[in-house]
Amino acid sequence: MSISQKTAWAQLAIFGALVIAWLVLFITNGTIFYWQNNTMKITFYWLCAAAFAGLVLMNIVASIVKNRTKSVTDERDRMIFRKASLWATGTSYTVVVALLLALAITYMNGASETVPVNFPLFIVFVGGVTLVLTQAITALIMYGRKVNYGES
Amino acid sequence: MARARINNRIRRLRFDHNEMTQEELAGRVGCTRQTIIALEQGKYVPSIELAFKIARAFGVPLEEVFQYEE
Repeated sequence: MSISQKTAWAQLAIFGALVIAWLVLFITNGTIFYWQNNTMKITFYWLCAAAFAGLVLMNIVASIVKNRTKSVTDERDRMIFRKASLWATGTSYTVVVALLLALAITYMNGASETVPVNFPLFIVFVGGVTLVLTQAITALIMYGRKVNYGES
Repeated sequence: MARARINNRIRRLRFDHNEMTQEELAGRVGCTRQTIIALEQGKYVPSIELAFKIARAFGVPLEEVFQYEE
């Protein structure tokens, strides 16, 4: 398994765990959208911070290993990374736009002109997590199937 | 339109060259062993540059390593 594959698995593990933690947090508090107390809010932020810090740390370690060792990544890894990034960006944009539209429609129908400040922040987090998860999953799928350098 | 297919004889050529290991070939052409494995399994079609490097590592013309089928 190449370092890029290991990185993708680690990304999937970290952010998969984050999504599970979010779900547990939301289910135990009874609602997805309203944070009922500060403890939940702070836990949510800490989970996000820990996951993104893990991602940054992992990439630093991976780049150190890549610089020290000869040929740990090559054109195939770079091509897969590029393709996975394109998929991830497209998916993430779509999710963010869909959530913003849903938010707008929900509030317009409710005849309310104000949106709680937590919602846009929540959408940004969801967009970020979608980006990282989609990139990891797409990369892992591409490592398992036939890819053509000319199609990149 | 039929999909074109590029096959290769890397595995055969490795054995014909004193059973060269995947690691050794990867080192000579500057890629990872995982890419050599993917090439041999037909899971990866390389760039022209890598294809030429592989052919050069075996000391044969490109057509002896890669075949284009339509």
